[in-house]
Amino acid sequence: MNFEWTQDEEAFRQRLRDFLAATLPEDWERFSQHGPASPALTDYARTFCGRLADEGLLTPHWAREIGGQGLDPWHQTILAEEMWIAGEPRGGQYMNVNWVGPTLIRYGSDAQKARYLPAITGGRALWCQGFSEPGSGSDLASLRTRATRDGDVYRVSGQKIWTSYAGLADTCFLVCRTSDDRKQGISILLVPMDTPGITVRQIPSLIGEGDIHEVFFDDVVVPVEARLGEEGQAWEIIGYSLTNERLGIPRYALARAALDRAVTLLQAQGEFAGEAVRIEAAHAAALCEAARMASYAIVDRRCRGEAIGAESSSARFATVMAERRVCEFIVEYLPQALADAHPYLKMHHQRGIVAGIAAGAAEIQLNIIASDVLKLPREPR
Amino acid sequence: MNLSLTDDQIAILDAIDTLTRPYAGATLHEAGFALTSEALDRDLAEGGFLDIGFDPDLGAISAALVVERLARLPQTVEAAASALIRPLLGDATPRPLCLVEEDKTHRPVRFLAPGATVLLVGPDRVRSFVAGPEHVRAEPEALYAYPMGNLIAQPDDRTDHSVSADDIRTRWRVALAAEAAGLLAAALDSTATYVTDRQQFGRPLATFQALRHRLAEAQVRANGLYWLAMKAASTLDAGDAALAALHAQESARTSVYDFHQFLGAMGMTLEHPLHLWTYRLKALIGDLGGRGGQALAAADALWG
Repeated sequence: MNFEWTQDEEAFRQRLRDFLAATLPEDWERFSQHGPASPALTDYARTFCGRLADEGLLTPHWAREIGGQGLDPWHQTILAEEMWIAGEPRGGQYMNVNWVGPTLIRYGSDAQKARYLPAITGGRALWCQGFSEPGSGSDLASLRTRATRDGDVYRVSGQKIWTSYAGLADTCFLVCRTSDDRKQGISILLVPMDTPGITVRQIPSLIGEGDIHEVFFDDVVVPVEARLGEEGQAWEIIGYSLTNERLGIPRYALARAALDRAVTLLQAQGEFAGEAVRIEAAHAAALCEAARMASYAIVDRRCRGEAIGAESSSARFATVMAERRVCEFIVEYLPQALADAHPYLKMHHQRGIVAGIAAGAAEIQLNIIASDVLKLPREPR
Repeated sequence: MNLSLTDDQIAILDAIDTLTRPYAGATLHEAGFALTSEALDRDLAEGGFLDIGFDPDLGAISAALVVERLARLPQTVEAAASALIRPLLGDATPRPLCLVEEDKTHRPVRFLAPGATVLLVGPDRVRSFVAGPEHVRAEPEALYAYPMGNLIAQPDDRTDHSVSADDIRTRWRVALAAEAAGLLAAALDSTATYVTDRQQFGRPLATFQALRHRLAEAQVRANGLYWLAMKAASTLDAGDAALAALHAQESARTSVYDFHQFLGAMGMTLEHPLHLWTYRLKALIGDLGGRGGQALAAADALWG
């Protein structure tokens, strides 16, 4: 076991920090409060991701033949940490490099790869994730949006909800029902958002402008070639996607950075001398570092080519614990951060509430840990 | 960053598993609060497993791996202090090694018995002596799963060690975290097995979400603790060690009562071995000022 970063890994992190310092606008911390899905940040992200791509820093962990540099998952982790700590200037495009791209690479047809990957690796694409429905949140397999085969096309009707980025996305990674079998009857369609019959309505949210939406599909015609994988293969593909997504956002890193920033501010105000505040800060730091190490353990296994299963749920829940404790610390000891005094901390707090909800609720992670890590018998359904 | 075990570490852990296998069949329900085994202690010492920390090529990380693995056994062996702190004192230091905070000598001490080395750790100095019968009063009725003794007297002649008290405290925290990681993992395993086998209302207890989620949270804590402990053993950084020890004591506090609760009435008995791990965790919760002490040490190290 060696917990030291290699020189190469440290140099890569420094390169990212230098790039961020040279590229982000001076008022970035205030600007980033628009939220990762806002029109302003989405627009800026196209410029930013284009520059990242020019520097070879957008998809360095992808294989060379598809636009990457073949760097290992440690580099992917360092990249994700530095971007998330910076307030995620890639906006919604972080999803592209975290899981949309890797999923297309693994399951996509040659035509799909040729159509979608260049825009992702060029920093121009924005995807949305058509998963949740009004009656199907954590119980995703109950989804009802129906894709009915009609010759060479599917006709899609139904509704998605709480869909991030849908307002400005160019393509939807749409999960829909092609037969009545609960899990084997679900398929994935890659649907351009300008297809006739799609209506998007923004939902006001706690996490920033433009973040979540309702998406209505009214007899939307989608060619069969737009199906990802086989009919009925969605559950397997989603499992692969979510494994990447669950580990994809290193929220522990921003939580720790926000904690350090809060402590610095409290020290400057002479409010970090008492035992109570110091003890609370240390508890939050311990949870951040526990989540970091749980995540690193999985990254290490990915580096060795091992299949990652339920263990990512454990790292994910550790991150939820950390995020929550840091948010609670700041609310208690630096309440002005939630007003306009400290844009960086406000940005963190605004996004923190997502940690236990998006990409599979925290309680679902606990169910997975119970069944698949602890091997407890499953609950009756 | 490379979190794989080295070939040497794999070989050491395999050897421990082989050595300890004959002890796995010990009768547990007559163990009382603490299950000790002189034979196991002797085998481990003769095999050199408790001296691994003296080898600079293997280092404290390998010693911590040994401590974590041994803590999973129902038998309690004085491994943590010997494996991680004795390398700073010299291999002539007799075992068991008993850690005592200089200003808390009134507390019961793990493994304290005549012949043991008592290490007195003060704010700025580290001293030791070998306990004689006149210094020790055994505590056979203590509610801990370690053999405990009280320090009732000290000799005038104590050895001063030219080691930093801060370095000793850092390694103490690493030792505590590594041992707690093994104890927590084993206690969780034991509880998970029980609630899987035990049927109520026509189904296994483990199928009730009220238990499942709390056990899953314990798994998250145990996993995080393992990695924090190993990182701290690797870096021997004061901040890493304090965070690991804080997570250990906090996780012990949140998990121990849950585990016994989930065993129901069986959780009140000495017939089930769960206490052999949980009542060791209880003994670790108060070390070095408890959670508050670790948290303040962590805050000092991280933020000044």
